[in-house]
Amino acid sequence: MERKRFLKQGMAALGIAFVTPMTACKKNDATTDNSENGGTEGTGSETCAVAPTETEGPYPSKNPSAYVRSDITDGRSGYKLTVNITIGKVSNNCSPLEGAVVDVWHCDADGNYSEYSSGSTSLHFLRGRQTTDAGGLVTFTTIFPGWYQGRATHIHVHVFNASGTSLKVTQIAFPENSGSALLTVNGYNKGMKGYTYNAQDNVFADDTTGVEIATVTGNTTNGFSLVHNINVP
Amino acid sequence: MEETGKMYRKVITLCYRKIIDARSPGRWEKLVFEDSYAEFLIQSQLYNPEKKYTRFSDMLQYAPGAEKLHFLVSASVINYVKPLNNRMPDITNNLGKSFLHFQHYFFEIINSDIRDRLVHSIAINFCSSPLIWHDTVGDYLLLSEKKDNTLEEVQTDILQLRPFLSIHSLQTEQYD
Repeated sequence: MERKRFLKQGMAALGIAFVTPMTACKKNDATTDNSENGGTEGTGSETCAVAPTETEGPYPSKNPSAYVRSDITDGRSGYKLTVNITIGKVSNNCSPLEGAVVDVWHCDADGNYSEYSSGSTSLHFLRGRQTTDAGGLVTFTTIFPGWYQGRATHIHVHVFNASGTSLKVTQIAFPENSGSALLTVNGYNKGMKGYTYNAQDNVFADDTTGVEIATVTGNTTNGFSLVHNINVP
Repeated sequence: MEETGKMYRKVITLCYRKIIDARSPGRWEKLVFEDSYAEFLIQSQLYNPEKKYTRFSDMLQYAPGAEKLHFLVSASVINYVKPLNNRMPDITNNLGKSFLHFQHYFFEIINSDIRDRLVHSIAINFCSSPLIWHDTVGDYLLLSEKKDNTLEEVQTDILQLRPFLSIHSLQTEQYD
């Protein structure tokens, strides 16, 4: 009995002597492994590494999302297109809605959207965000979109209220009549063979009144101008 | 390393996964947290218009296209990463000095919830430009910036690997 107690106490003593330092290391490792700790701060550097001696960088300031810009071209080649969208509020007799946030995005001349490419810094070309003025207007400078298999040429639009709540997700279609900008641009290098016209398009086919079709004017020398109105609830 | 008269060296890149969540201290981290969460709320409405799902993980599983939210939300951090001027944050050499430059980075949403901002956590993965891994000294990597001229004296740094910092790529390169 005495011996047992001695052994027990002895083990406990050893436990303190040897386990504690290991626990300390473990604790440190566990802290660092826990992604909920914020990574940077939850690292071994807290207790084990030399503290940084660098001069602090500039004081970080609040920066807008990279979407917030009027010129969304980002070096993409194509015919210049100015997009003027006015937002009306149906519940207020379709009068201009000031302060609405308007996101637009569309594909480039080859029909590609900006998205993650493997292992590279993200590119957000041809995507932008503007806030409507007192006339409900936002303006973007971009290029005339190309097209891709299965879809008519289009521009995506997402309208939010000032606090970011979605009001409308829609798309803008292009006129296809003879002499139209769409036929003048002629799909850039692709031509129009295999093109899906609005009547066959799975988004625009039900737009029998053409409410989704914008007014597009201009030419390939001076660029084109798109004007469109979108009414939101 | 010498083998049949040829010299070889190990060229590595390091990647640091900087995780930011509601508990991250630091003004930069807090701004990134707030703005990425705000952008998540905005962009997720495209894939979750009826707010059927609150968790990002459920959106990924049930809402087609929701995986694009990683990319779409990344726009909210671009203007915070730019001022870093390609300097890798947080990682210092054994002198406590920042020395790594990142060549590219990518953003990911780890978790989020449209009803609970405390769930929101993101990672920015910073990957370094190529480095020569000369040797390992104790727990430290002896590194220098990759240069073409292999004969001149190079400035070296020693770095201890730590959680969220990994050797991302390794290439054994022959040189004269």
